[in-house]
Amino acid sequence: MPTLRIDGLDVTVEPGTTVLEAANFLGLEIPTLCHMDGLSPYGGCRLCLVEIGTGDKARLVSSCTYPAEGGLVARTNSKRVIRTRKMMVELLLSVCPSSKTIQDMACRLGVSRTRFKARNDDCILCGLCVRMCSEQMMAGAIDFTFRGNKRKIMTPFDKKSAVCRTCGGCMYVCPVCMLRCQGPNPPTVVCGSCYNLEPTCTEHFDDYMCYLGTTGSCGTCVREKRPESKKEEATR
Amino acid sequence: MIRPIKNARELAELKDSIVSQRDARKQCISVCCGTGCRASDSVLVKKGVEAEVAKQGLKSEVTVKSTGCHGFCEHGPIIVISPKEIFYERVKTENAGEIVRETLVKNNIIPHLLYTDPATGEKIKSENEIPFYKKQRRRILEKNRLIDPTSISDYIAEGGYEALAKALLEMKPEEIIGEVKKSGLRGRGGAGFPTGFKWDFCRKAKGDRKYIICNADEGDPGAYMDRSILEGNPHSVIEGMIIGAYAIGADEGVVYVRNEYPLAVSNLKAALAQAKGYGLLGKNILGSSFQFDIAIERGAGAFVCGEETALITSIAGRRGEPRQRPPFPATRGFRGKPTNINNVETWANVALIINKGADWYSRIGTEGSKGTKIFSLVGKVNNTGLVEVPMGTTLREIIYDIGGGIKGDGRFKAVQTGGPSGGCIPKGQLDLPIDYESLTAAGSIMGSGGMIVMDDSTCMVDVAKYFLNFLRDESCGKCLSCREGTQRLWEILSGICEGKGAQGDIALLEELALAVKDASMCGLGQTASNSVLSTLRYFRDEYEEHVLHKKCRAFVCGDLVGAPCQTACPLGTEAWRYAALIEKGRYQEAYKVIRENNPFPSVCARVCDHKCETRCKLGATGGEPLAIRALKRFVTDTVDPSAYGPAKAVETVRDRAKVAVVGAGPAGLAAAHYLSLAGCKVTVFEAEQEPGGMLMSCIPAYRLPGEAVRKEIKALLNESIALKCGVALGRDITLDGIFKDGFKAVFLAMGANESLKLNIEGEDTEGIYPSMRFLKGFNLKEEKLAFGHVGVIGGGNSAVDAARVALRQEGVKSVTIFYRRTRREMPAYEEEIVAALEEGVNLETLVSPVKIHSKDGRLVGARCIKNKLGDFDSSGRRSPVPLAGSEFDAPLDTLIVAVGEQPASGFLKAAGLKLHKNGRLCVDEATLCTNRQGVFAGGDIVTGPNTVVDAIAAGKKAAEIIRRHLNGEDLKIAAGTKLPEFYIEPAKISEKELAEAKRVRPTALPAEKRKKSFAEAERAISAKDACREARRCLRCDLKFTQKEEVESGRNGGAVCRH
Repeated sequence: MPTLRIDGLDVTVEPGTTVLEAANFLGLEIPTLCHMDGLSPYGGCRLCLVEIGTGDKARLVSSCTYPAEGGLVARTNSKRVIRTRKMMVELLLSVCPSSKTIQDMACRLGVSRTRFKARNDDCILCGLCVRMCSEQMMAGAIDFTFRGNKRKIMTPFDKKSAVCRTCGGCMYVCPVCMLRCQGPNPPTVVCGSCYNLEPTCTEHFDDYMCYLGTTGSCGTCVREKRPESKKEEATR
Repeated sequence: MIRPIKNARELAELKDSIVSQRDARKQCISVCCGTGCRASDSVLVKKGVEAEVAKQGLKSEVTVKSTGCHGFCEHGPIIVISPKEIFYERVKTENAGEIVRETLVKNNIIPHLLYTDPATGEKIKSENEIPFYKKQRRRILEKNRLIDPTSISDYIAEGGYEALAKALLEMKPEEIIGEVKKSGLRGRGGAGFPTGFKWDFCRKAKGDRKYIICNADEGDPGAYMDRSILEGNPHSVIEGMIIGAYAIGADEGVVYVRNEYPLAVSNLKAALAQAKGYGLLGKNILGSSFQFDIAIERGAGAFVCGEETALITSIAGRRGEPRQRPPFPATRGFRGKPTNINNVETWANVALIINKGADWYSRIGTEGSKGTKIFSLVGKVNNTGLVEVPMGTTLREIIYDIGGGIKGDGRFKAVQTGGPSGGCIPKGQLDLPIDYESLTAAGSIMGSGGMIVMDDSTCMVDVAKYFLNFLRDESCGKCLSCREGTQRLWEILSGICEGKGAQGDIALLEELALAVKDASMCGLGQTASNSVLSTLRYFRDEYEEHVLHKKCRAFVCGDLVGAPCQTACPLGTEAWRYAALIEKGRYQEAYKVIRENNPFPSVCARVCDHKCETRCKLGATGGEPLAIRALKRFVTDTVDPSAYGPAKAVETVRDRAKVAVVGAGPAGLAAAHYLSLAGCKVTVFEAEQEPGGMLMSCIPAYRLPGEAVRKEIKALLNESIALKCGVALGRDITLDGIFKDGFKAVFLAMGANESLKLNIEGEDTEGIYPSMRFLKGFNLKEEKLAFGHVGVIGGGNSAVDAARVALRQEGVKSVTIFYRRTRREMPAYEEEIVAALEEGVNLETLVSPVKIHSKDGRLVGARCIKNKLGDFDSSGRRSPVPLAGSEFDAPLDTLIVAVGEQPASGFLKAAGLKLHKNGRLCVDEATLCTNRQGVFAGGDIVTGPNTVVDAIAAGKKAAEIIRRHLNGEDLKIAAGTKLPEFYIEPAKISEKELAEAKRVRPTALPAEKRKKSFAEAERAISAKDACREARRCLRCDLKFTQKEEVESGRNGGAVCRH
């Protein structure tokens, strides 16, 4: 049974375990998006990156696909990991700025906006639906087509599938098909209010005990004063 | 009859019988039938040769053979005639008869088919003497030219499959792996993993079956060495694979080759069939118990399928997508079994190592990289083709010695190694010895060996954009980092190239590029940002120029360039606009367009170095550039200067401040002119008796008549400008004095008019004159200093001017220019050199003076030494090296020294101004400020000898800066390219007219007539010619302007789109 060291903690696991599973066993949190228990590991979203090796040989790998080998040294929160992971979230946010899942992810990782032009795609190509369809629903109705920046998920030749039972498994796992936060900010900005539980508005508006953490900018407490700006944001 | 070979003895017997059946004295014509030569009809050439051989009845005496690629594809189709080893290049079908009749029958060499060395002009007879081949070390490619790829006999005759026999029958698998390990062979596909260790892992891996794969998915644009080996010598790859399979314990092999390589596939198929016939594949190979077979798998041409895990997935018939390693293919690969993958070139090395031993193999190369590597040398280099050199060869050797240097007039800028995944290596690292480690340290990779040479017409931001565009399309798209990262990198780069780059873009680019490199799963993603990172590392200034100054120095990024003629002009003259107006016959308007940006239109119409023409798109596309200067001359000769009345600025400077300008040359007068328009009271101080500076004192009248200059100066002076001639700063006035007199700012534009010295013995002898002294003496005071035999030292414009002026003086018997490099390197304008030679000036190149001979204190001659061109120096020119013992004496009565000028600025140092070592004034480039408050400087005094148009531009810029200084505004002028703004209806021109149109040539006085005369040599073109020439303009401006919908009529009925 291989023993490896994650964030300075030694852990012995069953052969065939991934680094992500080993870390989770230790109670270490690694953000994931394209990973789901019950589906095969994919390694496409690059959020679960961890740093393995030391010195010049150190490199980043996706923990969901990397096998837990004996003697492996992994770090889940090194400077390099955090920096790269943030960039990945920023990229995700620019593709699907309206996804609640991605917004929450960004907020948790301390990314509050994306510097890239928002594209408003409805898919981040995490492949959960593809694996769900073939591995759990045994349908195999959809798969990736094309490559590079033209990559898409569709049925063969984009025709109505004969094997699809419209079970909805694909939609169930999709991290993007969710209503986005209906807050006042443009989609490319993450306010992080849902995760910030400090009442911050008390200094400004003592009676409200607002937890939104935006010190008045969200507009809830001063709604009547700023009707235009609210409207403008909503139409964006 | 083909039957299986049972053992080593039978193989040796077969080889002997093949060799003995051949007559070594029999003539053999080998025609290169690689893909490169096939593209230029080498197959037809071969048919032609065969037909002619049959016609001459030589069939029994001559063998005609098609061979693989020789590597020198630039010069294909290539024919080699053995045993004399005659090398013919660029053979056409019509040459076939000639070759057979002359060379085969009569034994004559056909000179026009031989290779000509461009450096010496010599014809070279055999392949090994050609510089391109001479410096190479061809271990792998050598056999390509000897064997017919479709014939196994040829391969066996050259010692083929001997290594297999040795390995299979004499060595244990472990011994083979040990030998490969010892040889230091590393994977030639790019990453450079030690091959022996890879084999070892696979051998030791547990598995009932094992596989080996040959990776022939060569996808780099511009790289084709693997194709060349597979096409030209497939058996070398097959032999390597069988040895590898035996060492690893595999019984099945696959060659994964691109479907775009049909010739490689068919040659390989034929080779496999033949090898099977001889029992070299299949069961009981060479009588041993070992069995092995090879299948061909054709790939659909995805770049990512070069990655080993993607390649394996692709063979299995699924999407070519990489997966996480480990498990490595060596433990779980093809069909889930241990698999070993090597690149074509790696496999081709194996037989060599077994045959000649690891010690022999590792004798060449560097510490960590052994053997040779094939590079495909392409781009802006004279000799493109396949180059095989030992590891550790420097880039300089490859590009200059083998590649023959940079094509055309360009200068070397960078080389991209390793294809799209590699990086750019700049000029400063030309002496880098190439191996895996050094390339990685330089920010690039070995890759499969592509080498794209770039010159200064390449924009590095555009290069990065190009490769990112390739990669965003070729990424498989699995990893977010690679799919989205390359897309975003490309978007940012495109924005920068379109002039939309914002501050922070470069930082974001770098941050994202690093993240893509770190986060991606496979080699494609991990190297995808190399081109961005390496160009950022070495050419950050170019990125900054694009973002901050909205400038593309290579004139590549269209949206930053606008109309190239306008952007190239230091004054921003809208050449396209006046050309279009000339075409419409609107000459007055054309004059206004010219005059608006240039107070010296008729001077520039005669002596401008026309940067506009250099950048003209007509010239860039292989034709001749528009004759913009001739068009300008036509307008300035046709329209009177009074047609233009400059509008005075509404917003004048505070209190009509007094400004002093020192020096009434083009820079000083331009500054005075524009300052006066802004409302300043300007006083111009000029040391000579007449204004004009260099225009009057140096440029001879046959190029620029004094009258034209005087007329121009008169037109640009006005009541706000006071001109004081005969007053020199330092002699008559001082800077302190000027400020005391109430001047609020001073512009120094005294030019550079002190000639440099030769620094040789006896230079102050009578009869030797600095060129400035000589030209000024004649142009201003009519002194005729030259007589007898005149020598001029130097190769610049003042040397040629001095020579031509001397030729026109009485008592001069001959004039000779001595220049230390060759004519190609002469900095003088080509047309001036041609004119001087026509008039009878002698030109002696590769000569330097070493000593002056004098008699009674007077010059009688000079001792000179001959030079040869040595290595390329930092300027990209080859520097002269004196040849010992080649001294000779040249009898001379007058010697004019024109080896450069510098400002006579010694006294300014005393006045407290900062100077550079070469006498030039130190100024802030953006604001022209000297270290003294209120003192500005521009023109030759800052730049050293420069062109007229640059001096005028400096004066114009100074005027704007001084105006801001006086008004207390920010001195920095915001950068930005001015894009064409006015729409002018394009001329309707037929394809036929366009094809037939030729550049107009202004008529000039014949050499005989102008030789003794100072009358202007060149005449203006006629109205008809001007119109015809103007119609040739490609009108690059139309991309940026559009016709106005409403009929307002303003600006010729046009508005700007931007």
